Amino acid sequence: MVGLALFLAVAGQTGLLQPFQGLFLDVTRPIENGLNGIFRPVASFLSDAGSLNELQDENRRLRLENERLQNEVSALQSDADRVKELEEALKVQSGSGIEASVAASIVHRDSSAFTDVVSIDRGSSSGIKAGMVVLSSQGTLLGTVTRAFDNHAFVRLITDSQSKVAAEIKESHADGIVRGTANRGLSFELAQADIKVGDLVVTSGLGGNYPPDIPIGRVTKVSGTSQDLFRKVELESLVRVSTARTVLVLTSFVPQRLDLESR
Amino acid sequence: MRAALTGAALLLAALAQVTVASLFPWQAALPDLALLTLLLFAAFAGPATVMVGLPLLAISLGFASDRSPALILLAYLPLLPIASGLEQSAVPLNRYTTWLIAGLATGAWARLILAFGAIAQGASADLGSLAFRLVLPGLILDGLLLSMVYLPIRAFGWEGRGPSLQQARW
Repeated sequence: MVGLALFLAVAGQTGLLQPFQGLFLDVTRPIENGLNGIFRPVASFLSDAGSLNELQDENRRLRLENERLQNEVSALQSDADRVKELEEALKVQSGSGIEASVAASIVHRDSSAFTDVVSIDRGSSSGIKAGMVVLSSQGTLLGTVTRAFDNHAFVRLITDSQSKVAAEIKESHADGIVRGTANRGLSFELAQADIKVGDLVVTSGLGGNYPPDIPIGRVTKVSGTSQDLFRKVELESLVRVSTARTVLVLTSFVPQRLDLESR
Repeated sequence: MRAALTGAALLLAALAQVTVASLFPWQAALPDLALLTLLLFAAFAGPATVMVGLPLLAISLGFASDRSPALILLAYLPLLPIASGLEQSAVPLNRYTTWLIAGLATGAWARLILAFGAIAQGASADLGSLAFRLVLPGLILDGLLLSMVYLPIRAFGWEGRGPSLQQARW
């Protein structure tokens, strides 16, 4: 058995198993979809029943936030119209701002302590490569592609404890690193600034692995004193990963490491 | 026919581990459906079935979760030696207790080795979480699951088998 384990370890490292893994994922996808279809509603019902008060509070908060955002959208719409008028007057053409992306469905999520990986139903045949950035359908950062097969890819979520993202506080531009924790949470480390609960954390773009200004989460807890060199900052992702079904793989942004590999 | 059914059951267990178990986390631990299936095969079909089925389960689970099949194989490997050691020890234990202790020990070992595998690849070494949010809740989950499945099967009159190869047949 130990000999077999050694053989599997070597075969895994040399990529000998990769074609078989792609075939396995293709064949077992209907079974995974079937299991998901049966058990996901049950889990969702149990989860909702267990956190009814929390959901009611969240609902109230979201209603208020929705109202505020609608007012903001209205104000931004008039600003956008004004900018368009000015651009036309000055004969300036701005970029569309829309990144090319591939939408994919989450097939399953392997989440345990220290690990938070999902598999998606699109792969290299759709232009997906390892290292590409993955967003939620609303544009929040979810993770990066770690491995791509023809019709499947594995995505390491930012809540995986091996994940590290260069990030900054949106308001103050204080930069640091967002890391996944052992409990599938998020922490913001190495930031030297006055950080407050509610601050929005976005990608900083440093290092070239993520485009700048992608929302990651909001600060929920700051512990330590002002004497501390680095305070302990906890974040909450803007997206509830456990209920996400669709993701967007950003194919137009080439991460630094992919760019270097292609040269 | 029996071998095909065993293979299908182990494959289904591996897929259920990545699709179903992830939906029911407790603290940082998940129900270990793969271990439960192995243990039931060991207890009711005999250790030879597990010796043949374990590599198949490890490869299936590794492929489905994109983890190292070698690590998964090593994670579940102690099940039979622990159960066999317990049965041959001087302490008198009934079959249920033997399999329960072997299952709990293997579950704890499996979670530790998979967590250390992640730590070796760069995850933060949060030993407090490892002990109190992963291993301890995992032990409770494994104990509950095993009791909920093993005891009713025994109550229906299906005889269990010992963990030693001499007492087993394919």
